[in-house]
Amino acid sequence: MNTTSQFDLHPDAESLNAFAEQALGAPEREQVLAHLAQCSRCRQVIYLAQQAAADAEAPAWVPATRLTTQPSAWLWNWRYAWVPAAAMAAALALVVTFHPRHTAPAPEMAKAAPPHDVAMPTSLPQERVSAGMARKPAPALAAKSVARDVEFGAHRGPSQVLASPSAAPPAEPGTFGASTGGSNAFLPSSVESAPQPVSAAQYQPEPAVAAWQQEQQRSSGMLTASTNASQVSQKTMRMEAYTAHASRPAVAASAGPRMTQQSQSVPAGSFEIGTQEQLGGSTAARKVSPPKLPSGLAAVSRATAQHLTLEIDLAGALFLSDDSGAHWEQIARQWTGRAIEVRAKTGLSGNPAPASEFELKNDNGSTWASADGKTWTAL
Amino acid sequence: MPSQPVEASAPAGISAVPEPIHVLDKLWRESEAAAYGLEREQFSEILERVAAAQNFGLAAGAKATRKQEESFFRSLWLADLVLARACASGHPGAWEHFLAVYRQPLTRAAIAITGSDSLGRDLADQLYAELYGLTTRDGVRRSPLDSYRGRGSLMGWLRTTLAQRYVDHHRRTRRELPLDDPTGGYEPQAAAAETETPPAELLLLGRAIEEALRQLAAEERFLLAAYYLDGQTLLEIAPLLHVHEATISRKLHRVTSGLRKQVVRNLQRLGLSKPAAREALGADPRDLNLNLKKILQISSLDAFQEKAAPPRGMQ
Repeated sequence: MNTTSQFDLHPDAESLNAFAEQALGAPEREQVLAHLAQCSRCRQVIYLAQQAAADAEAPAWVPATRLTTQPSAWLWNWRYAWVPAAAMAAALALVVTFHPRHTAPAPEMAKAAPPHDVAMPTSLPQERVSAGMARKPAPALAAKSVARDVEFGAHRGPSQVLASPSAAPPAEPGTFGASTGGSNAFLPSSVESAPQPVSAAQYQPEPAVAAWQQEQQRSSGMLTASTNASQVSQKTMRMEAYTAHASRPAVAASAGPRMTQQSQSVPAGSFEIGTQEQLGGSTAARKVSPPKLPSGLAAVSRATAQHLTLEIDLAGALFLSDDSGAHWEQIARQWTGRAIEVRAKTGLSGNPAPASEFELKNDNGSTWASADGKTWTAL
Repeated sequence: MPSQPVEASAPAGISAVPEPIHVLDKLWRESEAAAYGLEREQFSEILERVAAAQNFGLAAGAKATRKQEESFFRSLWLADLVLARACASGHPGAWEHFLAVYRQPLTRAAIAITGSDSLGRDLADQLYAELYGLTTRDGVRRSPLDSYRGRGSLMGWLRTTLAQRYVDHHRRTRRELPLDDPTGGYEPQAAAAETETPPAELLLLGRAIEEALRQLAAEERFLLAAYYLDGQTLLEIAPLLHVHEATISRKLHRVTSGLRKQVVRNLQRLGLSKPAAREALGADPRDLNLNLKKILQISSLDAFQEKAAPPRGMQ
């Protein structure tokens, strides 16, 4: 062991540094370690040296050297800006591509639909165009765009008068979202909102239309089911608005033969509405028909897990069914405010959790949980 | 370079076995010693002194084989060693290189050590003056760089030297106030306790703990001192022992649990029953008249005994 000139019997800086840098052999290391165990002064020295080394490793002065003269530095710094720029360009390209399809056929379809053929709802359903629309397959997108064109056409200008003689009433206070009339209705982002506050009781299709609608459903039921099955597997828990379901078939029917040919593959509204159905395509055909809740009101949210189905109607009442909606039981109110959303807990794979568990949200954002849908506890 | 090793007469003192000349040649070229005016003979002489001072990194009295010698030479930071020796001899090119490479890091290290910009710059300037050899002994300029032997990096050596200067300066100027003991070592409770006669069980417990601590290995005592006395974190201790912090945690747990068992055994050996020994472990530590710092600083090795700056527990 070497000694320092200042303190004859302390390890010198060479030995302490070699110890800290693991450069000593086993005998020397053991000797220095034995000294460190008893000498607070030398421990303090290696602590301070270690602290200085850690401080030196911090890249405080590295940027100064990197900012000197790198010709591609600006490109390097801007490389992350390409990602949002590319995404915006892609979105713009999509808008430019599909914009003519949305606008051009609207007057024609509106003309093809005689206003007296179908009794339109007093308030047209508010369309819910999800942000995931662009991810959908091209045929479905085309069919959806046609279906939406009908509604957009009905909302705009002269076609609005043709398709909907009665002006849309303003949204009720406390309901979800406002009506998408006027120019806002054309913007997909502006129509991404909660369902229109129109009760299912308000919509009564004429018998001829209803019969035609049922026939169309029978003919396209299989395809609809398969289409929805793939979507159902991707979307696990989303609020479902049956008011839109209730009005979409009527609009499709009013668009006339040309439109129905295009929308046969996927009934309008069947995939535009987010679904939380977890049971696959078996529920897809049923989605077209309005719900039959004991309150007579349309459901604003629905959750299904295992054999239990929960639905909330427009009044905020919660109903439970254990036979896929054949029979409903109203659940006593155990939460504050008005229930607006119910959802089923899912596992990591997106499938329902083995033990069914539901969550309920009120209009204040508070959440309650229940395992059986009957007893709710605040979270 | 010859294809076959050519045995040459090695500098006296390195080894009885002549060093293959091509190894030293290669090391001499790799270290770029010629750039600082160091001829091969001077280079060999430096290595001779370094090796002799450390016995090739072996235990005292052990005889190094040629392979061990070569391994030792290759483990040295030869470029740093050559630079340090060239600076110590006053080579202008070496100083130019030294200032270009080490001036800024050295100042930063001094600031980090002192925690103050002004103090750090003062400390770095003082060390520069020393390194440059402004101090003379017997009319000869002396530079601490002469003591660098290349076992670790030159930057690490500079940092450690700075830390030594700072700690020694701190201890000189504040001898009554140790670096990590703001109370100055004065403990009123301990002083009061010394005047009273503690119960017999507490005396036995103190003896048992002292004996158990004495039996610990050096690394275990270092761990206890670093963690419990110095307040270092696992993350700070781990690089010193070159292990992961989780390993330090496990070792600490093992040491403390082993220490507890050993204390119980010592108490039993001193005449207490096992339940009484376990009960004695629950005594309030404040009732014990034990100076753990002092106990931990008792080493079985006598190689280093602090004289100029005694540990704080001894003060």
